[in-house]
Amino acid sequence: MKVEVDLEKCVGAGQCVLAADDVFDQRDSDGLVDLLDASPPEARADDVRHAAAVCPASAILVKD
Amino acid sequence: MSTATERLQLPLPRPNVLELAPLYEVLRREAPITPVTTPAGDPAWLVTRHEEVRLLLGDKRFGRSHHEPERASRITTAAVLDGPTGEFETEEADHARMRRLLTPAFSAKRMRMLSDHMGRLVEGYLDRLVAEHDASPDGVADLHSTLAYPLPVAMICLLLGVPESDHELFGRLSERMANTTIGEEAHQAREEFLRYMIGLVETKRPQLGEDVISDLIRAQSEDPTYDYAEMVRLCVGLLFAGHETTVNRIGLGVLFLLTERSRWEALVADPDGRVDAVVEEIMRLGAPGDLGLLRYAREDVSIAGVDIRRGDALVLSVNAANRDAEVYSDPEAFNPDRPERTHLGFGHGAHFCIGASLARTELRVVFAALAHRLPGLRLAKDLDELRVRTTLTGGVAELPVTWRSL
Repeated sequence: MKVEVDLEKCVGAGQCVLAADDVFDQRDSDGLVDLLDASPPEARADDVRHAAAVCPASAILVKD
Repeated sequence: MSTATERLQLPLPRPNVLELAPLYEVLRREAPITPVTTPAGDPAWLVTRHEEVRLLLGDKRFGRSHHEPERASRITTAAVLDGPTGEFETEEADHARMRRLLTPAFSAKRMRMLSDHMGRLVEGYLDRLVAEHDASPDGVADLHSTLAYPLPVAMICLLLGVPESDHELFGRLSERMANTTIGEEAHQAREEFLRYMIGLVETKRPQLGEDVISDLIRAQSEDPTYDYAEMVRLCVGLLFAGHETTVNRIGLGVLFLLTERSRWEALVADPDGRVDAVVEEIMRLGAPGDLGLLRYAREDVSIAGVDIRRGDALVLSVNAANRDAEVYSDPEAFNPDRPERTHLGFGHGAHFCIGASLARTELRVVFAALAHRLPGLRLAKDLDELRVRTTLTGGVAELPVTWRSL
């Protein structure tokens, strides 16, 4: 799966980090999303999709 | 019947602190955006369905400011959620600056690093709860005053750089600000709170530290467009929110878990494996306060067949949206295993709760520790006998518990 994040939309809520901290982090400087793994393994698909679903800014795009 | 008499009066009376007014179910189905009269006596729209609440929270045509603030509908008589806030022209930029300043300090990673510290605090509070229980002739101790209140207060003091020794003062001020039954005194409390904060800011200024208020003081002194009064209001807002939200959520969570034994036993059977899902269900179903989030339309908008005019007030009922049968199967049931894993308990969109990761971490630490240490925990009073707080932020004023064998 492929993951994209939109820094223009991101509000730094950190919900993605709580959902999948091996795929998403927050930058120390401004708290916005830091995509650690743009092609996470299939085993992480559920958590990554959950991260996209809970993002309050709809800033995460998941492509299969 | 005139339009005026058809308007529902908020708040809709609820059976108890855990259940909502049954009317919400009818409104979601038949009038998801309906005209109401606010507790302050002004007109507003009440939005009850998940779809529109989520949509409106994510739509920039709705904000917290008003183009003519003095003519805006007032919502409550408390000193929070009473009316518009912020400057209409610069709202988006001001809000973006605030998020930029606060987000790193409240990041999920930072909160995770604090969870061991929270765990140690909670163990200490539980020691005190046990001591109070053992010393009491009837084996009853108050979980509200020994755990639900002190943990969020200690954490917000640590993060903001506020002396915890002042907690009685600002705890009382927070309570009065949110009180819906004392009229003008709620606004006096806000004035006192602002004065307290100005004193604290000026005490801290010569020796700024590694804390949120110090960060805000630095940012304000370096940015000529950042108004001093706005910064002080933000500091008050953060300290207020640190008291009036998670404290009540811990209380509601305890009540959800202990009023139905099977819920508590399921958590006790596997505290570490179950606690995250339990916390999310507490965030979905817990419904402190009887109103919702406030927005004002920045322009004319037509939504779900309703014409909303520029300047109209909207009360977005997160409580009702989180129990929408269109989104949640068996929505009134407390079921941490439900397939729907999202909720609007922390809001949505640009104003999403800045303290969400802090609150989640606190709630996880609290409920895991309670289930580990006090598996026999139960309420010592019936739900209907508990003193309920007369504040906008809801919750209970006491949580008498016991674990003595019957």
